Amino acid sequence: MNVISRGIKNSMRSPLRSGAIVLMLAISIGLILSMLVARSSVNAKIADVKSSAGTLVTINPAGINGFAGGGTPFTSEQLATIASTAHITSTTATLSDQLGSTDTNLTASLELGSFGERQQRFDNPEASSGSSTTTTASTTTRPAFTPRTSVTGTTDPNSVATNGGTLTISSGKTIDGSSSSLTALVGTALATKNNLTTGSTFTAYGKTITVSGIFSTGNTFQDSGIIMPLATLQSLTDQSGDVTHVIAKVDSSDNVNAVVSSLKTAFGDKADITSEAEQAAASVTSLSSIASLALAGVIGATIAGAVIVLLAMIMIVRERRREIGVIKAIGGTSQKVVTQFVTEALTLTVIGAIVGLGLGVLVSGPMTSSLVTSSQSSTNTSTNTRGVVPRAFERGLGQLNTNITQVTSSVTPQVFASAIGITLLIATVGSAVPAWFISRIRPAEVLRSE
Amino acid sequence: MLSVKNLTKSFNSPSGTVKALTDVSLDVDTGQFVSIIGKSGSGKSTLLSMLGALDTPTSGNIQVDDVDIAKLSSAKQTAYRARKIGFVFQQYNLIPNLTALENVMLALEFGGVKSKERKARAEKLLNDVGIKADQQRRKPSRLSGGQQQRVSIARALANHPAIILADEPTGNLDSETGQKIFELLHNLSRSEHTTIIAVTHDLDIAGKTDRTFNLKDGKLTKLVKS
Repeated sequence: MNVISRGIKNSMRSPLRSGAIVLMLAISIGLILSMLVARSSVNAKIADVKSSAGTLVTINPAGINGFAGGGTPFTSEQLATIASTAHITSTTATLSDQLGSTDTNLTASLELGSFGERQQRFDNPEASSGSSTTTTASTTTRPAFTPRTSVTGTTDPNSVATNGGTLTISSGKTIDGSSSSLTALVGTALATKNNLTTGSTFTAYGKTITVSGIFSTGNTFQDSGIIMPLATLQSLTDQSGDVTHVIAKVDSSDNVNAVVSSLKTAFGDKADITSEAEQAAASVTSLSSIASLALAGVIGATIAGAVIVLLAMIMIVRERRREIGVIKAIGGTSQKVVTQFVTEALTLTVIGAIVGLGLGVLVSGPMTSSLVTSSQSSTNTSTNTRGVVPRAFERGLGQLNTNITQVTSSVTPQVFASAIGITLLIATVGSAVPAWFISRIRPAEVLRSE
Repeated sequence: MLSVKNLTKSFNSPSGTVKALTDVSLDVDTGQFVSIIGKSGSGKSTLLSMLGALDTPTSGNIQVDDVDIAKLSSAKQTAYRARKIGFVFQQYNLIPNLTALENVMLALEFGGVKSKERKARAEKLLNDVGIKADQQRRKPSRLSGGQQQRVSIARALANHPAIILADEPTGNLDSETGQKIFELLHNLSRSEHTTIIAVTHDLDIAGKTDRTFNLKDGKLTKLVKS
């Protein structure tokens, strides 16, 4: 039996006390791991939020909002200005149009309804003239309104996805947004209405368009539309270079405000420029407070763990003062005695760590979710009190909140290594003072105390 | 040969300096069984701790085989204790969570005996002092006082020490067991030619040793028997 095995054996000398020490250490180490996991997950999410939602800037020609409003689309020169603005890493340009019954052989899948009819009440020249000539005539004399099919020309078909991620292609394949081919993605509702499948063709703007794939977003309006490459739609509608909606991605959320400022300077009143920076900043602030809380938890639990080991070992050393004196009297060196007691402390810590890390793995998920959920509710409250959120950001903000609740609480190797490192730190700090006590115990005390 | 010259040990206390030993000198030949008697507080244990290199004297020297142990470094004193000194304590002082065998093997480990040889050597030592095989696997709490003291003696003998220092070796034992332990030590001094210095209150036992010194107020007042 050598000094190490004696130390290990000694750790179980008093099972009840050792069990209590191990339990306290396990709780402490479990808490450390949970807090490390929470911190790591939250930091990852902060980085994610900063790199995605918080870095998008939306630029619309002044007055244009989707298919509504009025104004002049951006030209290719203006688009180039946006793309060349400092800190903008990429842009997604979109041109929106609608197909009427004379533009296409497709039957619109969207029901017009009373809302659609009201929006078209000025559009139908016959209805309009009828209304002006027979001011008291009944509206039933007007010809029927026709629903329209929306067409989105985009450099990135994924920008149509409502989940902020990749567009779901239910059959076929996506289109190349940078091409000018006569291809299109057709929404599921429109495809069903017109019996379109991958490879089918339809007529639009007097040209035959081939269906590359069928997409699905879960949004009835989107799923009743068509997506084409931007250049194709520009060509078909004789709007070469025109763009009605641009989303620019900024390299860092820290530069969003500077980019918005630069663009406003460049475009003046010709563009409506908005960003999600404010919403992202609010979300990141609440997440940052969780990360700080988790760090405080790690530090507090580490100190608690070290104090537990420290007090336990001081108690053990004081209790075995005579035994230490005997070992020194019969020729044991201080180093050997210290090694034996450090091994004892390390054994207790390692057992506590094994139990604690297991405990931590179990509770870290619910704990992280709990922390983030409470943060999310406060974020929602603050958002609502700010008033009306621009419609353009509703989707983005919703996605932001979804992301927050999806904070992953997985235990990464780095987090695990950190927890083990902290455990060793606890054992070292917890053993250092007792070791100093041991070195001061004089072997003569074994006789003096007789 | 053990030679103590003008040994003095002082302690600082709140009431001033206390002299535990004053100018103590004595010589003990190799293989002798010597007893030191004296009242409580006379300095017996202090003298024993000086001889065992557990403490350093304020002045004077202690020569063991021509080496002044009072002037050794701390590390060399530890090595000296491991190889040249065997301790037998009144309260046995065995390590409670180690078996009798492991207690003896511990001393062998500190004496530098190879791990492979320790077990056989410890078993032989325990057999020599009358501890049977099944008793060797017991922890001290499951041995009688006499058996524990035998284990303690086996531990003291582990590294063939030049001197065995015994502090009231029979103090916690009944007279019959005490007599047996004394005889064991006496026989060892004869068979192993080991110098034994025992501190005792028991004048009967002191009377049976080769020489007896009397300590009074830290001074070696008289040689009772030579």
